Amino acid sequence: MSASVCGQTLTDGLMMPKKNLCTGFMYTHDQWTEYWEGELKRDNGNVGKVTTQSLMWVGNYGITNRVNIIAMLPYIKTKASMGTLHGMEGVQDLSLGVKYNFFHKKFEKSAFNTFAVLNFSTPLSDYTPDFFPLSIGTQTTNITYRLTTYFKIEKGWFVNASGGYTWRSNTTLDRPSYFNGNEFFISDEVKMPNVFDLFVSLGYIKNGLQVELNYMQQNTLGGGDIRRQDMPFVSNRMNSIKVGALVMYYLPKPKHLALRASTAFTVDGRNMGQTTTLMGGALYTIQFQKNQ
Amino acid sequence: MKSKFYSHILYAILLTTVCITSCDKSIEFSEQLTPLNPTNLDPDAATWSMVLMTSPDQIAVPAPTDVTSDAYKAELASIKDAQSKLTKSQQQTIDYWSGGGVLRWNQIFRGLVARYNLPPAPKADGTYPAPDAENPFADPMFPFANPPYAARAYSYVTATIYDALKAGWHYKYLYNRPSPSKVDDAIQALAPESDLPAYPSEAAVMSGAAAEMLKLLFPASLEEITRMAADQRNAALWSGKASSSDISAGLALGKAVAALFIARARTDGMGAAGGNKAIWEALKLNASSRGDEPWVSLETPPRPPMLPLFNKVLPWKMTYDQIVAIRPPAPPLRGSAEMDAECAEVKYYTDNLTRERLSIVHKWADGAGTYSPPGHWNDIAAEHIRDAGFSEVRAARAFALLNMTMHNAAVACWDTKYFYFNARPTQLVPAIKTGTGIPNFPAYVSGHSTFSASAAEFLSYLFPAHSGDFEAMASEASMSRLYGGIHYRKDCEGGLVLGKDVGKHIVETFAKLDGAD
Repeated sequence: MSASVCGQTLTDGLMMPKKNLCTGFMYTHDQWTEYWEGELKRDNGNVGKVTTQSLMWVGNYGITNRVNIIAMLPYIKTKASMGTLHGMEGVQDLSLGVKYNFFHKKFEKSAFNTFAVLNFSTPLSDYTPDFFPLSIGTQTTNITYRLTTYFKIEKGWFVNASGGYTWRSNTTLDRPSYFNGNEFFISDEVKMPNVFDLFVSLGYIKNGLQVELNYMQQNTLGGGDIRRQDMPFVSNRMNSIKVGALVMYYLPKPKHLALRASTAFTVDGRNMGQTTTLMGGALYTIQFQKNQ
Repeated sequence: MKSKFYSHILYAILLTTVCITSCDKSIEFSEQLTPLNPTNLDPDAATWSMVLMTSPDQIAVPAPTDVTSDAYKAELASIKDAQSKLTKSQQQTIDYWSGGGVLRWNQIFRGLVARYNLPPAPKADGTYPAPDAENPFADPMFPFANPPYAARAYSYVTATIYDALKAGWHYKYLYNRPSPSKVDDAIQALAPESDLPAYPSEAAVMSGAAAEMLKLLFPASLEEITRMAADQRNAALWSGKASSSDISAGLALGKAVAALFIARARTDGMGAAGGNKAIWEALKLNASSRGDEPWVSLETPPRPPMLPLFNKVLPWKMTYDQIVAIRPPAPPLRGSAEMDAECAEVKYYTDNLTRERLSIVHKWADGAGTYSPPGHWNDIAAEHIRDAGFSEVRAARAFALLNMTMHNAAVACWDTKYFYFNARPTQLVPAIKTGTGIPNFPAYVSGHSTFSASAAEFLSYLFPAHSGDFEAMASEASMSRLYGGIHYRKDCEGGLVLGKDVGKHIVETFAKLDGAD
């Protein structure tokens, strides 16, 4: 693996070499005007266009060539273009993950790698989970188990597939009772269903350029639908299928600096907005030890 | 070092795997009910003032057969048979209802209101369909249990249960038939046993009264309501508290009392409370002729105002003229220095929506999809009523009088709102973005403040040791509307005064004189 490659996500098949840190910021702009109320696609004049912006710090450190630690921390801001609802903003969840390249097989011109990822995330601020679609998160502590396979074909082409299962803690509302779309509860605690996700990408990576097309699917394993004309609720069955593209380019100068841009579009969903996402960021690699 | 690191990872994986398979995410209700075992059975409850019935014996209940009769012995035999084959789920049904029927129906009721508290979706042409009682399963479902609808519903169901139980108490102490577990030692008391006479069964009275009223108010939930009512009667039978003749007499009485209340509900003015286009236009004209900015809906597409003629719905133990007499003075007009200051204050709070204030806004929001503000006060009252260990009839009195008070508060508040028909803060200052949804009716006075103050006034009478808590809660509920940008301070303060007046009326003219104290 090229030393200049900056592995930076939990789902990719790239690793930082030992004692290398890849760190930087990503800005994400996400918006939707249509959303799925259960399975019914609609717009809503009481929210108009909902925009979510986030600025996220990422850091990926190579403890060894086979074990990386990945940390992320976003600041998120939401806004509705119509209606009267107040936007929300704040520091969201700190995510800390360990990525372990437990299997590695090199062929003459190709390579096959598998990774196990254990990720933990927890809210760093007391934002409310009870104001969807404008809440900045679910206010849950999550544990994700992920398996990723990365197959490097000849001449820089690769295929990557990753599946994750996320256990989510229950969340707490500021009110003593709630209706979750199916049932009434006299409690401030909401049972949160777990989540399964799948990520597949196909791309090219060579000479400081990484391009890929990707497919992302998220399925919430339970939860109610938004009822007709109701507000969304934190434990809704939020499902989505997105397709996207990513370009990452390692600048010749200054060395170790990479620019990253990506886009994604929701093609199908349930209890979520049909988002169009644009993301841009810059990542810098610091070598605490010369790579062998 | 390296091996230690890996062992930490392994440990984390093991720990989290255990969590996935065994961490219990199920939700336990915070309002737990323990088996009801009142110290005072209130044998004189039949002498307490009636809400609607003319007397406790207005509905005749025939004398029961003697406990030595063969017919009754056959009833006892069937209880023994049922107890000998009692399943786990039947035991759970007994345990559930032994927490107190009045409290259980109140919990079920709050759940129904939350389920039906959902405004209709707009049609393609931008108009809104009206929920139709004759077609409750359609879209939109019937009812839309908004705050006035909910306030009225809570009052009808709880008042029906209350009158029905007083009538039940009358016959219980008239006929003095003991419970099956007292008559026959072979019958176990699977719920706390008392000396309360069994005929007619209070559980059956309640089940008939509650189910008939709830079926009228929430017809699309007929199946759930019917099942809960049957469960309550079965629990009484299986637990050895009531025989089948105790139950059938109680059910008939409960249903007959419900019929009296249903007749009132059909002619209380609710049917016309939605108004029509001509009325909505007249309200606008009223406000502009006072020199004020008339209210407009802030929803897209604009929704007709919520129940503008709810002020004409019959109050409890109060007259329409008495409601009008306590109507608060006019709010400041748009453009006045006073109103500008009010707007500036609202703007300040929404521009500085701290997490602490947002949590107060959300704690009391009680908007769509919730049990509504009157439901919140039932929630608050329920734990006090539970802890007081009231008899069923005294618990029924507490909920009935509380909800009659809040129904009157809804009538008085709606009277004020539609008399002045003034604008919400966001209508005057569009930059005011709110911490919760803006209700679709005029601002002055705040419904939350009116409901809360009326409830706090009544609950302070009932539980004087906690009056400070109730007042603090009412004041917080009231201020939550200012913090959230929903209301001006004047709306909140005016609502508190109005609610207190309404609460005082029921306390002074009914509760203190009804013979229960």
